[in-house]
Amino acid sequence: MQDRSLSYLLLVPAFLIVLATTLYPLAYSFVTAFREWDLTKQRRPGDFVGLDNFGYAFSEPGFQNSLWVTTIFVLTSVALTLVIAMSLALLLRRKGRMHTFTRVILILPFAMSPALIGVSYRFMFNPEFGVIAKGLGAIFPALAGVPWLASPDLAMGILVLTDVWHWAPYMTFMCLGGLASVPRETEEAARIDGASSLRIIFGIVLPQMKGVLLVIAVLKTIFALKMFDQVVTLTGGGPGTSTETLAFFIFNVGFKWYDMGYASALAWILTAIMMLISIWYVRMLLSERKMATA
Amino acid sequence: MAEVQLVDVEKRYGEFLAVPKQSLTIEEGEFLVLLGPSGCGKTTTMRMIAGLEDITAGDLMIAGERANDKPPKDRDIAMVFQNYGLYPHMTVAENIGYPLKLRGMDRKSRDARVLETAQKVELDALLKRRPSELSGGQRQRVALARAIVRTPKIFLMDEPLSNLDAKLRVTMRAELKHLHHELGVTTVYVTHDQMEAMTLASRVAVMREGRIVQLDTPKKIYSEPADLFVAGFIGSPSMNLVEGRITGGRFEAPGVSLPVTAADRDGVVMGVRPEDLQLTTDGSAAVSGKLYALELTGDSTLVTLRDRTTSICARGPADFEAPIDAPCSLAPKPGVRIHLFDKTSGQRIDG
Amino acid sequence: MSKSVLWWVERALLLLISSIVLFPILWMFLTAFKRPRDAYSLSLDFSPTLSNFVTVFSDPWNLGDMVLNSVIVASVTVLIAVPCASLAAYSFSRFRVKGRKFLFFLILSTQFIPAVVIVLPFFLMFRTLGLLDTRIALIVVNLAIVTPFVIWMIKGFIDAIPTDSEEAALIDGASRLRVIRDIVLPMAAPGILTSSIFCFILTWNEFLFALILTRRDAVTLPVGLVSFRTERGDLWELMSAAGVMITVPIFIMALLIQKHFTRGMTAGAVK
Repeated sequence: MQDRSLSYLLLVPAFLIVLATTLYPLAYSFVTAFREWDLTKQRRPGDFVGLDNFGYAFSEPGFQNSLWVTTIFVLTSVALTLVIAMSLALLLRRKGRMHTFTRVILILPFAMSPALIGVSYRFMFNPEFGVIAKGLGAIFPALAGVPWLASPDLAMGILVLTDVWHWAPYMTFMCLGGLASVPRETEEAARIDGASSLRIIFGIVLPQMKGVLLVIAVLKTIFALKMFDQVVTLTGGGPGTSTETLAFFIFNVGFKWYDMGYASALAWILTAIMMLISIWYVRMLLSERKMATA
Repeated sequence: MAEVQLVDVEKRYGEFLAVPKQSLTIEEGEFLVLLGPSGCGKTTTMRMIAGLEDITAGDLMIAGERANDKPPKDRDIAMVFQNYGLYPHMTVAENIGYPLKLRGMDRKSRDARVLETAQKVELDALLKRRPSELSGGQRQRVALARAIVRTPKIFLMDEPLSNLDAKLRVTMRAELKHLHHELGVTTVYVTHDQMEAMTLASRVAVMREGRIVQLDTPKKIYSEPADLFVAGFIGSPSMNLVEGRITGGRFEAPGVSLPVTAADRDGVVMGVRPEDLQLTTDGSAAVSGKLYALELTGDSTLVTLRDRTTSICARGPADFEAPIDAPCSLAPKPGVRIHLFDKTSGQRIDG
Repeated sequence: MSKSVLWWVERALLLLISSIVLFPILWMFLTAFKRPRDAYSLSLDFSPTLSNFVTVFSDPWNLGDMVLNSVIVASVTVLIAVPCASLAAYSFSRFRVKGRKFLFFLILSTQFIPAVVIVLPFFLMFRTLGLLDTRIALIVVNLAIVTPFVIWMIKGFIDAIPTDSEEAALIDGASRLRVIRDIVLPMAAPGILTSSIFCFILTWNEFLFALILTRRDAVTLPVGLVSFRTERGDLWELMSAAGVMITVPIFIMALLIQKHFTRGMTAGAVK
C-alpha cells in the first residue's frame, strides 16, 4: 500500500541527520582509535598502530585515576539521587497548595545550565566569601575554615552535590509518574487491614515501583558517566586529579595534549562501558516486565 | 448504495489467524449486523471493508469493483466509530463539514448542507461548540451527522452505541433504524449486543472465533439457532440448555422428561426458551424440581428451578409467589419449539 | 493531635526542600545586582544596581554577542530537529513494518554515546573545513544529541493520541499526508511544543561542544561564563549577571509549559 512507502519517506530526514551527526563521526573516531595522531606534530592522521592506544590506557595512571574517580562519582550520585527522588516523590504525591508549589519549584534545577550550577556552587563554597562556607562556619564553629574545594574528598562531595541538585528533581517527576500508575486500591486495602504507613511504603508501594526505579537508576548512571560541565566550572578536575572524571580526562587528552588517537580510544572505552550498561538495562527491564505480566 | 462482497477473504497478523477464509455478501440497501462476543473478528471484518486493515487473501468487491488496494478515501464509505473519532480541535460544524471540505465543496453550499444535516440529528443549536463541550449522546450525533452529510455507498458502524447509557442507547437505536429507512444506504453494523442486532438488522451474521456461524434474519436466528453457540448467545435470559439423551421418543435428563420428534440417541442437548415454558400444577409435568430463585422483572417473574445438575429458568406471571425450595413444575407452552443439538459438534439435529 | 504534628512536619519538609532548591538561584540573582564590594560580603543590606549588566554587555565581555549566538544556535537547532523528528516519530508510532523496531532502537541507542566521542571527529572535520568557531558547527553537533531525544519524546506524545480521529479522517476522504496536516499536527501540538522547548533548553545549556568548538566568534553563554575567570580572580558579580541572562529565558519557558513539562519528562521512560 502507499502507506508503506510513505512510512519510510517520513523517516528519511531524521535518519539522514542521525547518520550524518552520529553514525559517521562514530565510525571516524573508531578508525582514529587505532591510529597514532598527535595534532601538535601532524596535520593528517598518522599510521595505524593496532591496539596500542587501548593498551596504553591500561598502563597509564591518568586513565586509571579517572576510572576510579568516575566509579566513585557514579555510585554516590546515583544512590543519592535515587533515594532523594523517591522520598521526594512520596512526600509530594499528595494534593495540597504547598505540594503544588514545591512541584513547580522542582522544575527549575533541571532547566538550569549545569555549567552555571558549577559556577554558582564554586562561589558559594569559596572559603573567604562563599555564603555556604561562611554560613556553615558561623553555625558550626568546627566547620569554620574548612578548605572545601581545596580538599580532594570534599571537592568530590560538592561535585556529587551539584549533580544531585541538578538531577534529583527531574527524577522525582519520573518517580511521581511511576507512583501515579500504582493502583490506589491495594494501598487502601492495606490501610483498612491495619498496616502502618511505613509498612505500606516498603511492603506495597516500593515493590511496585521496581521497574521505574530501575529505569531511573540506569538513566542516571548514563548521565553520571557523561557528566562533564560541572567538573570544568566547579573543580577543574582538582585539587590535583582528584575529580578528573573519565569524560574530563578524555577532554584533556584530546584538547590539551591534542593526542587524537589516544583520546578516541578512551572515548570508545567509555562508549563500551555505557553500551554494556544499556544492554544490561534492557535485559533487566525485559525480565522485570515478564515478571509483571506473569 | 452498493452491494458488498467478501470472497474467500482471510486476515492474518503474522502467524495469528484472525479471520479464516470465508465469503459474505451484503445486499444493496440492507442493514447487516455482525454480532459476536469481543475478539470474534467482527471489527476486523468491518475494518477490512473500510480499508483500515490490509486483506491478507481473497477479494473485497464494492459495487462490483475490486477494492482491496483502494485507500479508504476512494471507497466512498462513511464510518461511525465506537469512540466517535471526532476531531477535537474542530467545532461541531467543522467536524460535520470536513468530508465535504475534502471533496472540494465551496464554503457556502457546505454550510447549508451542514446545517441541514445537523437539523436532521438535532444538533443545529450546538454547531459552534467543540466536542469536549458535548455530552456522550451529542458526540454520538456529531459522528453520525459526519457520516450522513454526504451520501456514501456504504455505512459502517463499529459499536456506535456502546459508550452511551442504557436509556440513551434505546432512543438512538430507534433513530438509527429510522435513518436507515430514510436514506436506504447499505449498512454494516458491528455489535456484541444481541438486542441491538435483533432490533436493527435485516440480517444478522453471528460470528465466533473469526467464523460466521449463522447468517439469517433476526427472526430465524431466534427461532432456529444453527448451533449451541447461537442458541446460548441470542435471547435474554438465555435459552435453557440441558444435557441428556433420547429414549423411546422422549428427552430424558434429571428432572426433565418430555416428548420429542427425533430418533433415540445419546449425547443430546435440549434447548427451550424461558418464555416458552409455563408454570403448572400437573404432577407429571415435563420439568420438575425445587424452586431456587424468583426474580421480578416488572412485567413478569423469572422462576429458576433446580434438580440435581439441572437448572431451568422460566418466565412466569408477575404475581407468581412461592417459598424457596418448594416443589415446582414447568411445561412447554403448546405449539412451541423444542430445540435439539448434538452435544459434541454443537450442531442442530432436529428438522 | 499527632496528626497535626505530622502535618507541620510535612510542611516544614516541603519548605526545606523548596529552600534548598531556590537558595543557590536566589543567591545568584542577588549577587547579580550587588556592587563588587557587596558581592564579597554576605550582607543582604545593599543598594541594588544594574551596573553589572551594563559591564557584561560592554567591551571586553560583550555578552550581547554570546546571547545572539545562543539564541541563533538553539533556535535553528530546534527548527531543524523538531519538524524532522515529528515526521519520524509519527512513522514510528503509527506504522508497523519490518525493520522499524531495529531502526528505532538504533536511533535511541545513540543517546547512550558520550558526547566526547562525537565531538572529537567533528573537531577534526571542522578544522579541515575551516568551520571551527562558527555557529553552523555548533548547530550540526547539537543536532546529534537533540534529534534522537526529540524523536523519542514526540513519539511518546503521539502514542498517547488515539487513532480513531485519524481513521475517521481517512474514511472521510483524506489522504495520509492530509491527515497528518489536518488532524495529527493540531492534536499533537502541545506535545510538539513541549518537545521544542525541551530541545531549546538542552541546546541553550549545552557546554561541552561549545567549549571545544568555539574560541571567540561563536561562543555561547555557558562557555562565556568561563571567561569571567581572569588573572585578577573570579569576577563573581559579573558571572552572576551572566548567569541571570542564561537562566531567565529558560525558567520562563519551563514555567510556561509547566504541566506538559513534567509529562514530557516522564514520557516514554516509565513505559
